[in-house]
Order: sequence, then C-alpha cells, then structure tokens
Amino acid sequence: MPPAVRSDAHVFAGGVAPPAGTLSNPFAGDRQAAGDGERIFRAMNCDGCHGGGALGWEGPSLVDGRWRYGGGDGEVFHSIYYGRPRGMPAYGGILETDGIWKIVTYLRAQPVPQDVPTEQWTP
Amino acid sequence: MRPCRILLLLSLPWAGAQGQGRDDGQWTMPGKNYASTRYSTLTAITAANVARLRPVWSFSTGVLGGHEGQPLVVDGTMYVVTPFPNVLYAFDLAQEGYPLKWKYRPDVSATSVGIACCDAINRGAFYTGGKIVYNLLDGHTVAVDAVTGKELWKTQIADMSRGETTPMAPFVVKDRVIVGPSGGEFGIHGWAKALDLATGRLIWTAYNAGPDSAVLAGAAFKPFYDKGPELALKTWEGDAWQTGGVPVWGWLSYDPELDLLYFGTGNAAPYNAEQRPGDNKWASSVLARRPEDGALVWAYQFTPHENWDYDANAEMILVDLTIQGRLRKTLVHFDKNGFAYTLDRVTGEVLVAEPFTTVTWAKRVDRASGRPVVDTTRLTGASRGNVRDICPSLEGGKTPVAPAAYSPRTGLFYVATNNLCMDFEASAAAHIAGTPYIGASTPYHAGPGGHMGAFIAWDARVGRKVWEIREPYPVWSGSVATAGDVVFYGTLDGWFKAADARSGKVLWKFKVGSGVVGCPITYRGPDGKQYVAIYAGIGGDWFLLSGDVRSDDPADVRPPADFAPNLARHTSQGGIVWIFGL
Repeated sequence: MPPAVRSDAHVFAGGVAPPAGTLSNPFAGDRQAAGDGERIFRAMNCDGCHGGGALGWEGPSLVDGRWRYGGGDGEVFHSIYYGRPRGMPAYGGILETDGIWKIVTYLRAQPVPQDVPTEQWTP
Repeated sequence: MRPCRILLLLSLPWAGAQGQGRDDGQWTMPGKNYASTRYSTLTAITAANVARLRPVWSFSTGVLGGHEGQPLVVDGTMYVVTPFPNVLYAFDLAQEGYPLKWKYRPDVSATSVGIACCDAINRGAFYTGGKIVYNLLDGHTVAVDAVTGKELWKTQIADMSRGETTPMAPFVVKDRVIVGPSGGEFGIHGWAKALDLATGRLIWTAYNAGPDSAVLAGAAFKPFYDKGPELALKTWEGDAWQTGGVPVWGWLSYDPELDLLYFGTGNAAPYNAEQRPGDNKWASSVLARRPEDGALVWAYQFTPHENWDYDANAEMILVDLTIQGRLRKTLVHFDKNGFAYTLDRVTGEVLVAEPFTTVTWAKRVDRASGRPVVDTTRLTGASRGNVRDICPSLEGGKTPVAPAAYSPRTGLFYVATNNLCMDFEASAAAHIAGTPYIGASTPYHAGPGGHMGAFIAWDARVGRKVWEIREPYPVWSGSVATAGDVVFYGTLDGWFKAADARSGKVLWKFKVGSGVVGCPITYRGPDGKQYVAIYAGIGGDWFLLSGDVRSDDPADVRPPADFAPNLARHTSQGGIVWIFGL
C-alpha cells in the first residue's frame, strides 16, 4: 500500500501543510528502467488513451511538462496505482509497484517540447 | 395499459417514411424520418433566396465536447442534448429569445469520459409519445417527459468496466427503444438491445458476434450470400468473438412495410487483425432485424476480416430507386471503406457498389460473391510491418458521424467525405478489461489532390459522383436537403454553408464560432417561418487528432496534428446552437 501523498501545488489552509508520506522512485534516472517502462506503457494499453509516445489522445499528454494531478514522482505513481477521475483506470491491482515506477521513469525521461505553449501562424 | 399502447402507435410518424409525404415541419428523430433521408419538404428557403439567410439566435450549451448529432423540434420546442455531462435543454420557440422551458441535468459518471474512445460526444435524442429518449455516456438510457422535463425512467444498458459507453442516439420503433454501445477500441462484445418505451425494461439483447443463440439467428435468418449455421461463431478463431468489438454507435433505420430494422456494426477488435483470423462476422456489416424480438433476418458484411478499422456504423438510407430499369426497395450506405453501396433492402443483395473517394485497399466489389476484391499488399497485421498508403484512412472515406441526406426531387444523395490516407503499423495487443484494445499506429496524410475533404452529390442508381465541393479539411458534418433544392453542411474550420442541390454551387456561408461535427436540421417555427439549425463545436476524433483545438486545460497542451497543422488557426472547441432564418 503506498502512503498518502501530499500535493505541494495545493493551498494549505492556514499555511500549515498536513502530514503525508513520501514516495521516491527507486529507478529515478535509470535508462534501462525507462526502456522497460516504455514497453510496459504499451503492453498495459496506456498508449490507447494517452497516444503513442504519450503525446495525448483521449487522455491528456504526459510529455508536455504539465500535470493535472501533480507531477511529482509520488503523484504520478498514485495516478497510475489508484486511477483518477474522468476514466484513468487504477492499475495497482494488476501491476507490480516496480512496473509502475518504470512507467514513471519512462515518462520522466521524455524531453518536454519547448515550442508547445505558443503556436504561431504568422511570420 | 392497452389503450395507452394504441395511442402511442397512432402517434408514430409512419407517414412520409421517405420524405415524400406530408411534412409537419417538425424534426422528431435523428434522421428526420424512419428512412433516414434527412429531407424536408419545406420550401420557404430556396436556392434563389438562401443568400439572404441570417442568424436569428444562438445559445452556448456551456459544454466543450464535440457537438455531434442534431436538435429535435417538436410542438414548438427545441430539444438539445449536450455532450457529457449530457444536459437536456428544452427551448420555447414561441417566445422571443427562445427562453428555456426547462433544463434536465442527469447524474452521469465522469469515468465515462475516459472510457469513450473519442471524445465525450452524444449523437442526440428521439422523440415519441410525449417522451424524449436519449443515452447518457456512462451506459444509461433515460426517458424524459417532453412537457415537464421530469425523468420518467432510467435504465443501465452498458458496462463501463467492459469498455462500453453509449453516445449513440436511441431509435424507437413501435414500443421498442433500440440502443447499442461504443467500444470497438476496448474489445467489447457488441450488441443491440431493445427496451420497453413505457418502462425502460429490457426486452431483448442481440449480440453481433457469437453463437446463433446469442446473435438471434434462427429460422428467419436468410443472408443473401452466406450460408450455414453459426456464421458469427465459425468466422472467428477460438473465443476471439468474445472480445471482438463490433459496436453499435451509429444511426438506425426502419421500413414499416417490411417490418425490418437496419443498422450497421463497427470494427472488429483489436486493430491487429492477425489476432482474429477469419471473416469476423458480423463486424463491419449491416444487420436487418425484427424490432419485436430482435430476430436476425439478413446480414451483409461490407468488409470481411476487417483490417483497417472500417466501421460500418454509417446511416442506412431507405429509398426506392430504379436500378437498370427496375424499381427496387433499396438501402444506400456510404461506408468508411470508401465504397457506396446500393443494396436490396428486402434481401441484402448488392445492386451497386462503387468507390466515392480514393480507395486502395480493394480493387472493386465482386457482385457475384458480394465480397471486395482486396489488394493483398494493403493487408495489415503485426507481422507485416508498416503498410503504407492505405486509402481511405481509418477516419473513413466518409465518417459515420456525418449522415448523408437524400432529395427525392433531385434523386441525389448529399455526402460529407474525407480524402485521407494512412500508413498502418500493427502490433500485438493485450486485452485488459476497461482499457483500450487496439494495437496499431496509423498516421494520416491527404489523398490525391491535397484537399482533405469534399461535400459531394451521389447518384446511387449507378454509383456515380455528380458534383463535389472541395474543402481543405475533412468534412465531418451531417447534411440536410430541402424541397427548396438547397442542401446544408458545415466544415471543420467553422463554416456553415448552403449549396444548390442541383449544381453544387455554394450560395451562402456563415462562420459559426467552432468547427462543425453536428448535423443540420430544418423546421417550421411557431411563427410559420422556415428555420435551419446547426451545432457548432468541434470534437469527436478531432479532439484526439488536433489536440491543440482545446484551450480549457492548462495541464494538457499538445502540438498540432502533423497532417492538419493549421486547423487550430481557424477553430477551437465550443458548444453553440445556431438558428438561421430569412
């Protein structure tokens, strides 16, 4: 069971952060784990919703540097483990935690495109 | 309850099944009539005066999903169903400014947004017997009192944990509400169900694949080309039919004389066709069933062993046409696979099958066998690598989202078409319930000519294009034809257009604020004047393909589609109901 994770993007009422657990990625920065994570991402049909390369499809882009539910390692882990509203399935029942961390590692390894925020059509 | 049932039967719109009878100026069902002609006999707006058309009213639905489908107009009231969360609005057309009579806000699970393959769309409602009947995205059908807006019944019909969602518009025949699921991308076991109009109680379930007992293929089943028992079981390997997709997300038609209900079925799952050897009946097919008990009477498969996501959910338009000197009861269908079919709707025999757009996956349709002559170099599968230049793309030569119209005055069909081709690289897919079951990467490019779409007029008697209006983007809008010899359609870059039904000359256009993926209607208002209504609100597949048309989520910023990099220059999401008049 993963501990409850606090999102530092939320406002803390009264300025006081509630206690929370921490989760750290055992594969952080591991290129082989990132490659494994890419294969798991496809094998678990993640690309069916988030698109090839996680560029976005029915589900949001996961490689634009933006996160609905927080982009910390623990927050992304929670999103995969327990699922999220609007259709993100909970994979914690069928995926080992190592597999989820490898997906997180894969997503973390993707470069964030620099030219996405501004689309320009005139010279 | 008996007298009540008789009253309901009398209130059904039998007359004018092909749009040639008396027109009361209303629009009570998605396709205008049981024949699904989307033809109105109203004559006030004509090719001569349509240039004077002007907007008389607009309303933001407050929802940004793709606004597919069409409003209904009944007894001076316009009914509008939004995409998720499926709000139902009832506008009073007799009052200045068309204020709401009521607004019904159902409890819909947000989970449905991510289980729906392709945006959280809805294709509209059906009015009959004082009820507005429609589907919520999360697998429920509701009936709402058309006068009060009160919910009369709500029935769960689909299971999201199996990948089923329900954006299609129900179709009501007699006292049967016919519904079906989406989920061809989730490996569902596709079906159609009939609910009792009075209570919402389930009456029958007919699967589209599997044993005859589940498909309801009994003594009455006489397909024109295929013979023998268990066709929908033997044409799959092992139990692949149980996760073989075959959804029902399009439009339905009904012939009251033959007492036959017609609808198309969707793709076989997964896209990697090597995981499901065989014809995979009845994927990508048209089924003719008895509405009373669901019994299958005939079936015809447009694309056997479907390799390219060629769903056949597009409308089946029922008209009588003279083919080679003989008047035939026909069914006309524009398939995603790029062929336009004119079938005998009594038997399922193919009378005409000709390409209406660029087709490379097949050379022709063999009339003797009813089967396409496939170019085997365009077959796909995980062992075949990246197969290039397949036309049409899996968006279809015509999307089923955009139903065609038929004018008995011109004898022509008016059809939104796409000019897109694709490469198709399949890979092995694992079936995990509640997650997508696809296994393919399918980038698109424009077909010959470089334009990505066209609005065309088609002669289904001989299978010939009569005229076309080329558009820079795929045409994703339904159409309506009128006795004023005008046809209306919308474009992805946000124009609503009127064209001369005979010449194809564009006579009028107006920028409606967002791309059009909905279907226009025309009606006579309480003031006696003719109006035309359309939704603006790009979405559906375009929500996925051109993710930069959305602006509502700072946590989801995507690059433009490589094949249509400028679409977001002309439109972003929206949700607007427009009404136009002279």
